[in-house]
Amino acid sequence: MGAILFPTHSQYLASLGAPHPLSPFPCVSSLPPSLSLLHLLPACSSFDCLQPKPQNAITVAVSSRALFDMVKDRKIYEEEGVETYVKYQEENENLPLNPGPAFYFVKALEQVNARLRELYPKDEELFDIVLMTNNHAQVGVRLINSINHYGLSIERFCMTGGESPIGYLTAYLTNLYLSADSEKVQEAIEAGIASATMFTANKDVPYSDKQLRVAFDGDAVLFSDESEQIVKEHGLDRFFEHEQMNENKPLAQGPLKGFLEDLGKLQKKFYAKNERLDCPIRTYLVTARSAASSGARVLKTLRSWGLEIDEALFLAGAPKGPILVKIRPHIFFDDQMFHIEGAQQLGTVAAHVPYGIGQKYYKSKPKDDTVKK
Amino acid sequence: MQPKPENAITIAVSSRALFRMEEEQKIYSDQGVEAYVKYQLDHESEPFLPGAAFPFVKGWREQIPRLVHSPPCSAGLQACCRAAQPLGPGGAGLADSVRPSSPDLFIERFCMTGGNSPMCYLKAYHTNLYLSSDAEKVSEALEEGIAAATIFSPSKDVSVSESQLRVAFDGDAVLFSDESEQIVKEHGLDMFFEHEKAYENKPLAQGPLKGFLEALGKLQKKFYSKGLRLECPIRTYLVTARSAASSGARALKTLRSWGLETDEALFLAGAPKGPLLEKIRPHIFFDDQMFHVEGAKASGTIAAHVPYGVAQKPRRGVQAKETAVWA
Repeated sequence: MGAILFPTHSQYLASLGAPHPLSPFPCVSSLPPSLSLLHLLPACSSFDCLQPKPQNAITVAVSSRALFDMVKDRKIYEEEGVETYVKYQEENENLPLNPGPAFYFVKALEQVNARLRELYPKDEELFDIVLMTNNHAQVGVRLINSINHYGLSIERFCMTGGESPIGYLTAYLTNLYLSADSEKVQEAIEAGIASATMFTANKDVPYSDKQLRVAFDGDAVLFSDESEQIVKEHGLDRFFEHEQMNENKPLAQGPLKGFLEDLGKLQKKFYAKNERLDCPIRTYLVTARSAASSGARVLKTLRSWGLEIDEALFLAGAPKGPILVKIRPHIFFDDQMFHIEGAQQLGTVAAHVPYGIGQKYYKSKPKDDTVKK
Repeated sequence: MQPKPENAITIAVSSRALFRMEEEQKIYSDQGVEAYVKYQLDHESEPFLPGAAFPFVKGWREQIPRLVHSPPCSAGLQACCRAAQPLGPGGAGLADSVRPSSPDLFIERFCMTGGNSPMCYLKAYHTNLYLSSDAEKVSEALEEGIAAATIFSPSKDVSVSESQLRVAFDGDAVLFSDESEQIVKEHGLDMFFEHEKAYENKPLAQGPLKGFLEALGKLQKKFYSKGLRLECPIRTYLVTARSAASSGARALKTLRSWGLETDEALFLAGAPKGPLLEKIRPHIFFDDQMFHVEGAKASGTIAAHVPYGVAQKPRRGVQAKETAVWA
């Protein structure tokens, strides 16, 4: 009972009775970090080859309002129409936009890429960041200027001029889509793409710039919402019984399982080069589950998928906000707005995954109307 | 009533681009012109099957009246002029015209050139766009300053948007000149990015299809000015291999300096164009590089090659390739 923290990977594995992870691989010298990528690739005769091929990369698509703070701009668009909005953007195009909720996450992805390129110079298994926006093409100039201002490397753009970007998401084999627009996020989830709605943090919190930190809720995020359904319909006791009876039956997967898997793939590349202790990616499970009553099933499910998570925090219903402040993740995925708001209030960048039965409830009480779209 | 050519937007389509005529061609090559003419007369009342340019022309016919008839209306009507290039002397051309066009199309102007080059007719009609399956004619047209492209049928089944005419353009050597592609080929990508950043505010020179985008833009403005961008019957797409942050600004600023826009802009930074074109489902996609045209075809997109600029192989090589398409 109560919250149990497993600060290190080996400790939580030990708690399952599993053997210690593999011994480190022999050390391989890495290239000096100053070596520019451009010199490492063969000369190209067209505009190809700087970016990884979509099928090899882990594609993260972000909308312009997730990447940058465009609250004011959005207001102009809604109140004064698209023509005025485009004109406003053109007039201000040399003024860089301020960072938005996904900004630090994207910056951290690029740091990981820099480390990967040092260790695996010709490898295309990198993060590829695509700007997927239904902004008008001419607004692209301001977006490009802002991206260059911060030294980001976002070379793939889809500016859809008002249309839904969902088709392009699948064309790019997108692994994760972040947007401020919950309708688009929902469309993406229905199309089988890991996706979440970004909300701005209310306070400024310093982020780790050496390590990408991603925190996940468990049920209805990494796992399906089957267990949440039991809680909501039959109550906690029934839920605990059910979880214990089915401890060895893996839960079905949830919308963000694929992304955890992608992160794991990249982590293994660092482990293979003896960089486990200095791995620039760290993952966290932050779940309201109780460890003794319902935790084993979760950990066994992850194991059955061949996935690992660096830290697993079972809160048994305690608020997630304070724990997240300690972790300082670049992003935290949860399916319940109650937890999103709790995270936001204390300064964590939270992303809502609009999936599962949690959408019909708020703080365990059914909502009056159907899910707000 | 047809508008005067100088007020209209004129699309010229060759018969072999508009309809599928492989069987007829085979008969002509294998059995000669008499057998060909007889075949045509025997099949007089059978409509031709749609060719590569058919969806585009059909889309044009369906969508343009929506632009023209909504007030305020100006002389934006168009004519489709069929520049039939018969395979043999004289009579064969006549036989071609007797075979009725598909009832969905209504093509008002015909030019049957009896074996001669259609160039002078294209110019006389102030042609805004010439589509043909014959790369030589297309190259001639480009040299005369007429927007032209060699159109290919996709390898897979085509699916085009029903509600909107969609036209997709490559950037360099199609809308823009090939000056940037020259830099990439001669000096590599690094030099190219540096150059594009240094010259960000200097517009690129125009390419062969710029005029056609301009013509489409004129029609679109009627809808834009009423705040109806998403309902506009024409939608244009820029699908470029350029990288956005490193070289995209110059492309966008060039379009702006011309007073032109595209509805959507996709910067691929080298990713394959096929999957994205499959989502767009354009009625036609213009590119100067056969590599991209082939990729588009393979994904079921109607692609048209613009044989312009430094990406082209020597003329002889292109001709040999195009002849093979007929077989």
